[in-house]
Amino acid sequence: MLGGLAASAVSAPSFPALAKLFTVGRRAAESFTLTNGLQVVVLPARRAPIVTQMMVYKVGSADESFGRTGVAHFLEHMMLKGTERVASGEFSRIVSRNGGRDNAYTTFDSTGYYQIVAPDRLDLVMRMEADRMTGLRITERELISERQVVLEERRSRIDNVPAALLDEAAREQLFGRHKPYAMPVIGYVDDIKKLNITELTTFYRRFYTPGNAVLIVAGDTTPEIVRKLAEKHYGPIPNRKVEARRRPAQGGTDLPQRVSRADARVVEPRWSCDWLAPSYRVGETKYAYALQVLARLFGGSETSRLWRALVTDSKIALSASAGYSPASLGLSSFGVGVHPTPQRTVREIETAVNLEMKKLIDGGVTANEVERAQNQLLAAAIYAQDSLASGPRLYGAVLSTGGTMADIDAWPERIAAVTPAEVAAAAQSVWRDSGAVISLLTPAEGSR
Amino acid sequence: MTPGLRRGAAMVLAAVLAWLPAAGAGAIEIKEVTTPLGIKAWLVEDKSAPVVALSFSFAGGTASDPAGQSGVTDLMATLLTDGAGTLDAQAFRRRQEDAAASLGFGASLDRLSGTLRVISANRDEGFELLRLALTQPRFDPDMVEQRRAQAIARLNQADQRPQAVAGRTLMTTLFAGHPYAADPEGTREDLKMLSPALLKRRAAALLERSGLIVSAVGDIGEAELARRLDRAFGGLGVGTVQPLPQEWKPPTKPRTIVVERPVPQSTVLMALPGIARDDPDWYAAVIMNHVLGGRGQQSRLFHEVREKRGLAYGVSSGLRTYKRAALLVISTASANERVAEAIRIVRTELAHLRTDGVTEQELADAKTYLSGALALSLDSSGSVAGLMHSLQIDGLSPDHLVRREALIAAVKLDSVRRVARRLLRDEAMTTVVVGKPVGVISEPKE
Repeated sequence: MLGGLAASAVSAPSFPALAKLFTVGRRAAESFTLTNGLQVVVLPARRAPIVTQMMVYKVGSADESFGRTGVAHFLEHMMLKGTERVASGEFSRIVSRNGGRDNAYTTFDSTGYYQIVAPDRLDLVMRMEADRMTGLRITERELISERQVVLEERRSRIDNVPAALLDEAAREQLFGRHKPYAMPVIGYVDDIKKLNITELTTFYRRFYTPGNAVLIVAGDTTPEIVRKLAEKHYGPIPNRKVEARRRPAQGGTDLPQRVSRADARVVEPRWSCDWLAPSYRVGETKYAYALQVLARLFGGSETSRLWRALVTDSKIALSASAGYSPASLGLSSFGVGVHPTPQRTVREIETAVNLEMKKLIDGGVTANEVERAQNQLLAAAIYAQDSLASGPRLYGAVLSTGGTMADIDAWPERIAAVTPAEVAAAAQSVWRDSGAVISLLTPAEGSR
Repeated sequence: MTPGLRRGAAMVLAAVLAWLPAAGAGAIEIKEVTTPLGIKAWLVEDKSAPVVALSFSFAGGTASDPAGQSGVTDLMATLLTDGAGTLDAQAFRRRQEDAAASLGFGASLDRLSGTLRVISANRDEGFELLRLALTQPRFDPDMVEQRRAQAIARLNQADQRPQAVAGRTLMTTLFAGHPYAADPEGTREDLKMLSPALLKRRAAALLERSGLIVSAVGDIGEAELARRLDRAFGGLGVGTVQPLPQEWKPPTKPRTIVVERPVPQSTVLMALPGIARDDPDWYAAVIMNHVLGGRGQQSRLFHEVREKRGLAYGVSSGLRTYKRAALLVISTASANERVAEAIRIVRTELAHLRTDGVTEQELADAKTYLSGALALSLDSSGSVAGLMHSLQIDGLSPDHLVRREALIAAVKLDSVRRVARRLLRDEAMTTVVVGKPVGVISEPKE
């Protein structure tokens, strides 16, 4: 399966877009928009005396072009440098000095910045976040040293990790070489090496503006307090128009493809298959909910079809799973990943997976399976509500990819409304050879 | 035994509708509960989410794996949730899924621990599954085979992951001759020898009430918790407290170990003998560590290694405590060609901190951060339960969260300087580098 979308410290939400479960209770989630276009979402929760502020910009690595990759992520790093008012590197120090923490992340479609602080420091972090929305200053010296940091990050995440290198190759086939989702979020080494200040500031000026952002505040606060502070700090920032973002409606053209990587660093082989799949926005979007149910019942847990067939019964695999995430501005992918038992061949794995897919398409799925999967998805939503960290991430992922508050509210009903027939139809629609890339990770010849 | 599915959905949704946020919860209020059977637990009653979370542990961990059975505690812990009573692994897992309950066990060097998380409407079922896992685990041969094969595959993978290799090498070097040196996940040879009978025997030896520690958080009251704990844990024997491993003698000579791996970036761990949790200078050491390489982006190491020189993406330091040992560990990773420079800068910073201590400003900043930071981690029922549980393991009292602030505030510049001099000794440093580092060699030679 292809790895998560995020390149930075935190990975993209593993739950599908959740749920109005966040809004049940005395204080519902509230959303309002400032006159400059900044959308503000408040998720009150009184568990602990802390507040999370998250600013999500509707721009990610997929808004770059081939030969100039890595800009969105590099800019995320540079946002921790200085402005006119805050000296370089001081942002995090000020947050820390005030008993808080901060971090940031970049995905294909969005870039997020967040701080967790005591409620009486919300004013402070809003002032600083507003300040760096327009006031970022990047110096040549900082750029040069940060370039090394980004290259080290790439080594840690990708170049030292054979599976991640295979992922890059699989994406190029699945989404089509040089296309937005085919290029790694962190960027290619050659591009990172030549990135300059002009490119960064152009990207910054083009996309970092109130109308192209969503502010999410969760925790021990109220919509009234947040509105007052947001108007004070973000309200005065004039909006600039940002052209609509585009994503290709098609994926790779020469599918199916196989990519493989034989690597001396690999001891345990992996087989996986990814198919182009609709998201909430692009492709056969009517299947976006059924595919979440499909992923769950086909390979979402140790009681799923794939696990039972390959691990429990035939014992040809040590693990087997399926995954799908619909919150994407362009096409998404549906993935199946298998870790074979020693001595088992790839051909055996492939035959077994194909057989399970065929069984599902020919025989359909039972009402019982579907309902169990639905319950599991809803339960995950309740646990997400129990965590102050997941709420902002989920809202950020949906709202930055064209989703609305109403979509989030309707998620439980839409999941609950999925029928067995829709699950089978979704499987049939997505599991096509003409949308598939099979990836194989193996030890280097003669290394074992 | 699968509940009717419509009923299942209704059950989950009813739980959501019942959720109401607590009225202005501030600092968490810990109650001590003693059950009729004498089980002592800490409880934070919290109705802000329809969830009950339990964190508990038993005395004795992987460090006391019997000879020739390394990995037995870890494998046993995994298998506790792979079938119990009349339920095989699949049936047991389905029951968990249908109740939206998640039950898991794991082992550290010193303890066998578990967590339960369940939607409060389904807590009957959650606690029943816990009781079954504790008192009637099955260790079915096919599940033992499956988990063993997965464990061996994990060892194979860990062998190829620079960070895992570095961590393992550090422990075997520092603790040579001590039980803490053994791989908690076992060796391939020992894992192959483990039978269902041996696993069962290990479970019986560790799952005893005498060293049991429990923390609970969520939508549950004192009386109900006591009743449920007695039912879940009551079937276990009282037993005797497990003996601790022998004392550890920290290394007194510097050592560098290079493990060659074909990767572009070298992973580095640098370890020094640390400080015990009950040492009077503990909070001085916590503050020193925060200034040196603590979490976040404000530390000296972050500034010198990453910000100023771009030598690494991540660089941090941390205090680790075990029952019989304590460490201060610095970790980073840098391109093979530049890793020697990164190590040199870390050493320089350690020497600087040892000689000059921290500044007034750094001390004040660390105090504000550390006072506030604890609250930042209280973001879910499970994390609150986990925090309480770690306080219990450290032998602290429930009012610790209140006293902690005063203990931090009382730390003086002098005590940080004292603890820096005591801990940051180059001559006691063990360095492990995994990769193809340029300009770093193993010293002394093997």
